[in-house]
Amino acid sequence: MRSLFSLFLFLFAAVVSAISASGNRLLVILEDVAEKTNYSKFLGDLESRGFQISFEVPKSESLALFHLGERSYDHIILFPTKAKGLGPNLTPNILVDFMNAQGNILVALTSDLPTPTSLVSLLAELDIQLPADRTGLVVDHFHYDALSSPDMHDVLLLPPPSATTRPDVKDFFGAGAGRDDDIIAFARGVGAVLGSSELLTPVLRAPRTAYSYNPKEQSEVVDDLFAAGEQLALVSAFQARNSARFTLVGSAEMLQDKWFDAEVSKVGEKKAVKTFNREFAKRVSGWTFNEIGVLRVNWIEHHLDEAGATNESNPKIYRIKNDVKYTISLSEYSWTTWNPFTLPGDDALQLEFSMLSPFHRLPLTLDAAHSSDSASAYSVSFRLPDQHGIFNFLVNYKRPFLSNVEEKNTVSVRHMAHNEWPRSFVISGAWPWIAGLGVTVAGWLAFCALWMYSAPVGGKRESKKTQ
Amino acid sequence: MSLGFCFQSSFSANPILLFAGFESIIHEFDPWFNFRATKYLVANGFYNFWDWFDDRTWHPLGRVTGGTLYPGLMVTSGVIYHALRALTIPVDIRNVCVLLAPGFSGLTAIAAYLLTNEMTPSPSAGLLAALFMGIAPGYISRSVAGSYDNEAIAIFLLVFTFYLWIKALKQGSMLWGALCALFYGYMVASWGGYAFITCLLPLHAFVLVCMGRYSTRLYVAYTTWYALGTLASMQIPFVGFLPVKTSEHMPALGIFGFLQLLAFLDYVRSAIPSRQFQTFLWLFAGAAFGLGLLGLVIATSAGFIAPWSGRFYSLFDTGYAKIHIPIIASVSEHQPTAWPAFFFDLNMLIWLFPVGVYLCFQQLADEHVFIVVYALFGSYFAGVMVRLMLTLTPVVCIAAAIAVSALLDTYLSVKSPKPEENQAVEGAEGKKAAKSGLKATNKPVVGVYTTWGKGMIVSALAVYLLLFVLHCTWVTSNAYSSPSVVLASRLPDGSQHIIDDYREAYQWLRQNTREDAKIMSWWDYGYQIGGMADRPTLVDNNTWNNTHIATVGKAMSSSEEVSYPIMRQHEVDYVLVVFGGLLGYSGDDINKFLWMVRIAEGIWPEEVSERAFFTPRGEYRVDGEATETMKNSLMYKMSYYNYNNLFPAGQAVDRMRGARLPEVGPTLSTLEEAFTSENWIIRIYKVKDLDNLGRDHSSAAAFERGHKKKKVTKKRGPRVLRVD
Repeated sequence: MRSLFSLFLFLFAAVVSAISASGNRLLVILEDVAEKTNYSKFLGDLESRGFQISFEVPKSESLALFHLGERSYDHIILFPTKAKGLGPNLTPNILVDFMNAQGNILVALTSDLPTPTSLVSLLAELDIQLPADRTGLVVDHFHYDALSSPDMHDVLLLPPPSATTRPDVKDFFGAGAGRDDDIIAFARGVGAVLGSSELLTPVLRAPRTAYSYNPKEQSEVVDDLFAAGEQLALVSAFQARNSARFTLVGSAEMLQDKWFDAEVSKVGEKKAVKTFNREFAKRVSGWTFNEIGVLRVNWIEHHLDEAGATNESNPKIYRIKNDVKYTISLSEYSWTTWNPFTLPGDDALQLEFSMLSPFHRLPLTLDAAHSSDSASAYSVSFRLPDQHGIFNFLVNYKRPFLSNVEEKNTVSVRHMAHNEWPRSFVISGAWPWIAGLGVTVAGWLAFCALWMYSAPVGGKRESKKTQ
Repeated sequence: MSLGFCFQSSFSANPILLFAGFESIIHEFDPWFNFRATKYLVANGFYNFWDWFDDRTWHPLGRVTGGTLYPGLMVTSGVIYHALRALTIPVDIRNVCVLLAPGFSGLTAIAAYLLTNEMTPSPSAGLLAALFMGIAPGYISRSVAGSYDNEAIAIFLLVFTFYLWIKALKQGSMLWGALCALFYGYMVASWGGYAFITCLLPLHAFVLVCMGRYSTRLYVAYTTWYALGTLASMQIPFVGFLPVKTSEHMPALGIFGFLQLLAFLDYVRSAIPSRQFQTFLWLFAGAAFGLGLLGLVIATSAGFIAPWSGRFYSLFDTGYAKIHIPIIASVSEHQPTAWPAFFFDLNMLIWLFPVGVYLCFQQLADEHVFIVVYALFGSYFAGVMVRLMLTLTPVVCIAAAIAVSALLDTYLSVKSPKPEENQAVEGAEGKKAAKSGLKATNKPVVGVYTTWGKGMIVSALAVYLLLFVLHCTWVTSNAYSSPSVVLASRLPDGSQHIIDDYREAYQWLRQNTREDAKIMSWWDYGYQIGGMADRPTLVDNNTWNNTHIATVGKAMSSSEEVSYPIMRQHEVDYVLVVFGGLLGYSGDDINKFLWMVRIAEGIWPEEVSERAFFTPRGEYRVDGEATETMKNSLMYKMSYYNYNNLFPAGQAVDRMRGARLPEVGPTLSTLEEAFTSENWIIRIYKVKDLDNLGRDHSSAAAFERGHKKKKVTKKRGPRVLRVD
C-alpha cells in the first residue's frame, strides 16, 4: 500500500516536473477577470503546458501570496491594472518576499495606463527605472508597423534577439528564428532603463532609432529625454541570487491574441508577414517560469586520486600535496526533460580550490564516463597546494538566463603526519650524517675493545719508579 | 606522618572551597583548550593527537595543534584516565582534568619539602615549606580545582627538577643528574616556562665557578643534565631545534662548553708545573673567550641563532611590548606587577623571605647559593610580569620556611641553657674561634633564658601563622576559586547571586547554530567558544598568527561597509561581543577595544588609526561626544544596538563607563541580532547573506523598514549607460 502510494506520489511528481522545474501553480492578476479573453491564446498555451491558472483582481480580499508562511503560488503574472496602487496584498515588500521564497514573477506594462506605484518601487529595488510620471511610450520613426500605426509609429517591429553580442550566453529567445520574416511586434509599450546590476539582462532592446516620451506632456516637444536607442530595454530579465526569476515585458499588448495572429509590414516593404509574438511569448514565459535554462547539480564527488589509496568518496580531510579528482554532474531542464548540460561555445566551467583566495582555478572538462543521457559530468584532477588549512571546492557558475550554480564543498587539508615523511636513509643528503653516526659508534666500540684488552702498564711504571 | 597531613591539607583545601560555590567546572580561558585537547587525546589516541590538525580554530587557516602545544598536561591526564580505567574505576575525563591541579599541588608540597630538607638540617623547615606551598595564594591561583592549566603540573616539575639538581650537585651523581634531565624533559613537555630552568641552572653553575667552587661534582651533574635534558627537550615538536638555535638557550650551551674548558684546565693543571700553567691559562682563556665571542657574533649575524624574541625583550624593558608588540602587552597577565600584589599573593611570606635568604647566606653551601640566585632572579621576573609571580612563589615558601623554622627551633626548645655551660663552651672554643675566618663564628653562643620571652615570640608567630591561613583562605575563596565564566555577585540581602551569561550564550550557540557555523569574536573568548559551544572560531587564545588577529581587530573597528567583505571572506556566520554596560561588568569588549584598534593599526596603519577613536580633547568616550569613527565602528554598533529600548527615551546609560548614550541608537544593516543573554553580557549577531536582489545592505534594510527609494532622476552628472 505504502509503496503504491509512493509510486503514485512519484508519478505525480514526475507529471508536475514535466511542466516547470519548480511547480505549476500560476496566479494571474488582471484588472478584471473578464479581460482574460484578450490573452486567451497566451494563457491557453500556458495551460496546455500544464500550468494551473488562478485569476484574481488586485483588490480582492481572498488574494494572498503566502499561506502560513508558505508560498500559495509558484508563479505570478501581473497584467496592467488601472488602480494607482495594487492594494495591501501586493505591496512591494510582499512581492520581494515572494521572490526571496523562490517565486517567479512576470510583469507586463502598457503605455495606456500608468504603472502602479507598488510595481514602480519593486522595479526600483531591482535597479530598473521607468519613465517619470509612471508612463511613457516607445516610438520609432524608422521601424514601425506600416499597417497598424502609420501615424503614431508606436508599434515597433523588431527582429528576434540574437546571441551575437554575447557568444558565451545561451540563446534562449531567438534560437531558430533567423529568418527575415520572423518579426516581433511591440505595440504601445513602455521602455525601461536598466541599472548596472549584474543580475539584470535585457532580452529585447529597442532599435537605435527608438526613443521614449510622455504622450500627455511631451506631445509637442520632447524636452527631457528619458532614454533612447539600445539603452531602452523593452523586455528585460532579472534573476535573483536564489535563481528566482522576474521578467518585465514592456508591452502587455504584444501578449494579446490580436498580435499573435496579426500581420505586419515593415516600412517600405509591401509584404505583410505574421508576427513571431506567440513563439516569443512562449519562450519568455517559459524562461520566467523555470521551463528552460534551469540548471541542476545532480551530484558532486571528490576523492583521492592516488595509486593504492582507498577510494573513499568525499572525504572530510586531505593531506597537503595529495592528488585529488573532482567531478560535478549537471543537468539542464528544457521544457519537459532534463538534458545533459553543454557549455556554450566560448564559456568554461571552472573549479576553484580556495582558502581566503583561490589557490587553484581550473577548467572542468567533460567526463564522458560519468555522463548519461540526462546529465553530463565535468571533472578535473589536480594536486592540492602545499598549504594546510580549511579549503573549499567551489564551483561558481553564474551566467545570464541560466540558474545560478554555486556549490561549495569544504574540506580540511592537513599537514604531513610525523610518520609520512621519507625516512632518513632514503634522503641522499642525509647519508654523510648517517655515516658519521656509524663511524662514531664503531669508533666508540673499538676504543672500548682496545681499552679492555690492553694489558695494564701501571704496575711496570710503578716498579720503574721505585728503582 | 605530618608530611602526609600537609599533602592532604594542600590537596583538600582547594576543592572544598571551590565546590562550595560552583559545580565541577573548568576555569578561565586556556584550561578550556587543554580540556578540549585532552578529550581529543583520550578519544583518538596518542598518535592522532601528535599529528592533530585542528580545523575548528583559526578558521580558515587551521592550527597544527599537535606541533604547537606542550603535550605534558594532556598526556598526564590521559595516562591517569587510562590507569584508572584499567583499575576498573569508571571516571569521567572531565573530573580527571578538574582535579588534576589540586592533585599536583599535593605533589608540589612534597617536592618543596624535599628541596627544603636539602637546605637545612632542621626537620621542621621542610614541613613548613610544604604547608606554605600548599596554601600560598600565589600558587593556589593555579592549583584550585578546575584550573586545568600547564602551570598546574609545571610548578611541581619546576620544584622537583630543582630538588633533583641540588641532589645531583651535592652528590656529583650521574644517576641524579639523569633523573634531573628526565624531569626537565617532562617540564619542557608541559610549559613554556621551562626556559626558567634552562637559564637558572647554568646561572647557578656559573656563580659557583665564579666563587671558585668548580668541582667534578658540578661537572658531572651539569653535563649529565645538559646533554640528556637537551636531547629530551628536542623531542617535543613545539620545541624542536630551539635549544640549539635561540638566544634564550645559549647560556646553557655556553656554560656547558665553559665547564668542558674548566675540566680540561683542571686536568692540565694536575699535569704541568704551576708556573707554566699560569701563562698557559692566560693564553688559553683569552683565545677561548675570543673565539667563542667571534663564533657567537658570526652565528647570530648569519642567522643560525635567532635573536632574542620580543617576549624576552619585554622582560627587560617593560615598555617594549606596549610599543612593538601590542598583542603581548594586551594580556593583563603580562603587565608589570603592582606592589600590593606581592602582599596579596604571599602575605607574611614576603617579609619572611629576605630573612630566609639571609640565613642561606650565613651557611652558603652550593645549594644555598642556588636559593640565593633563584631568589634574586625570581624576584626580578615577578616584578616585571604578574604571571611570573608563580615562579617566585616556591622560593619564597622555602626561604620563609627556613626563617620560621629557625625561629621556632630557637624559641620552642623548653630547655634553657645554663650560663655556666655557656661560659665553659666559650672558654674552650675561644682559641679555635680566633683562628677560624668568619666573624659570626667568633661570637659566643647566645641562648634564650626566659620562658615568658619564648612564649611571647612563639605565640606571636602562631598568631601570624593563623592570620596567614585566614588570609590564604579568604583570597582563595574570593579571588581565585571563581571560574570567571560564572560571575558571582551579592544581592542587597547578602545572598549570593550567580550571573551565568557566558554559559547561557555558549549553550545557545551549541543548540541553535549549525555544527560548522564560524564564530567571530575577540581572541579572549576563542578557547571558551571552542570548548563550551563547540563551534569553529577565527582566533583564539593561542595567539600564533598576529595578522589573523589584526584582521578580526580591523573588522571590529571599521565601519560596516569595510567589515562585511572581511567577514564574508572569512565565512563568518556569527559575531559575538561581550558588553558590560548594563551590569557594570568591566571586562567587556568596549574596554578592550583600544587593543583591537592598536593591533589592527600595527598591520594596517593607513586604514585603522587609534587617534580617530579619541575626541579632539584626547578622551575615549562612548556617549554623544564620541567620534564618528567610534560611532560607526562595528564594535560600538554591536554593543549598543537596541540598548536604548531598555530605557525611557533619552535616558540610556552605560553603567560601566557612566556615560549617557545618544538618544538615537546605532543601526545595523549587515548584521542582525541573534541572541542577547539575560544580563546583556553576551550579544551574538548573525551575519546576513548577500542581498537576494543584489542591493547593498543599507538600502535593502531601508526598504524593509518601508522607506521608499529616492528617485534618482535628479542626477546632475552624465547618464550612466549600460554597456553590455
